[in-house]
Amino acid sequence: MSPIDPRLQEALDGERDPGDLPVDLREAYARLNAATQILKATPPVSVASRVMAEIRQNPAPVQGEGPGRRLIQWLGRPRAVTVRLRPVWTLALAAGLAAVLVLQWRRGGPAPGVAQGIANFVGQFPGAQSVEVVGSFNDWSRGMLHLNDDDGDGIWHAKAVLPAGQHEYMFVVDGERWVPDPLAGRYVDDGFGAGQQNSVLIVRPVSAQP
Amino acid sequence: MENRDEAPPQGVTGKVNDGAPDIEVVARVLGGDGEAFGILIRRYEPGLLRFATRMLGNPDAAADAVAESLVRAYRHLAQCRDPGRLRSWLYRITGNRCRSHLARRHTNDISLSDVPAPALADGSDTWAVLERGEQVALVERALAALPAEKREAFVLKHVEGMSYEEMATVTGARIPTLKMRVHRAREALLAALEEVVR
Repeated sequence: MSPIDPRLQEALDGERDPGDLPVDLREAYARLNAATQILKATPPVSVASRVMAEIRQNPAPVQGEGPGRRLIQWLGRPRAVTVRLRPVWTLALAAGLAAVLVLQWRRGGPAPGVAQGIANFVGQFPGAQSVEVVGSFNDWSRGMLHLNDDDGDGIWHAKAVLPAGQHEYMFVVDGERWVPDPLAGRYVDDGFGAGQQNSVLIVRPVSAQP
Repeated sequence: MENRDEAPPQGVTGKVNDGAPDIEVVARVLGGDGEAFGILIRRYEPGLLRFATRMLGNPDAAADAVAESLVRAYRHLAQCRDPGRLRSWLYRITGNRCRSHLARRHTNDISLSDVPAPALADGSDTWAVLERGEQVALVERALAALPAEKREAFVLKHVEGMSYEEMATVTGARIPTLKMRVHRAREALLAALEEVVR
């Protein structure tokens, strides 16, 4: 096998008009072109019915717009509500809310169960408008776990109660850039080739913590 | 080769057949409409089957690889980070599947026994006078003789019509590396074709 003329490579890369090639190179160009046309033939088979049967048998969990999710979104959407209350009821309601908030504050946030632990996510993303975490614990769904940067220093935080065990995750910055956590310490291949990696997090159950 | 850098621009790829762009179909599937995945299958199955067949040299193994890849893509669709480039993602999964299949054979090469040898009358034939079946056998055998990485680069570039940028997304290899593989594959193919047909 000997190197082929650079002019032929250029023509094959679309950087040179093949009509300008010498006759012998034009023949080689035509031969490779003919070979490519042969290889472009599409196999007369289909796996569509097989794949769809498998999918129907084991449907994937709904990611975003199921009835439950729609209900949550409906409840979370801002709406104008007018409530007419007597001042005495307003004071009672405010006192009740304050009591609930104080109790929650004393507990220090959501309490994990026996087989759960608390995960702290921290990432430095100066200039980012939003940062969220997607991972195996939320079916890689967006919009469920957002990080906050209240003081605007570019360091984003979030805390979440997760099942104890090993989880894979990624940060999604500004809704489009998926980046591994540089502080994760452990990474695994994402399984789709091309050498991209997910970050790994190990959550210890609260019962195992000192 | 007339299909230089034929990768359609973003937003056009996903509009072939069935109207809706990939990003919308993906959203429907993730929203629970599993049947919408059939649109994506119809859209990309021919190319994926062609790619896998050229990589594995065996239509049955290629069909298995593509079916497994599509099911895997469906299960992990939420992990597709850019649904606007769904085609690249599907080719990446399928390419990975083909590599695993080849690795199970303990060699990255296609077994030449999978590819029928051309029955040429004698060595003095020219390409033009070969029967179509002889041409097909000759080309398939020449491709099968290439190492897997060069075969993959050649097929993605010239058969699937991808740009080097999209090939880099699919394979994870750098663009200069891919250019080198394509160039070497062309040289090997041309040498193989000229050796048989003089």
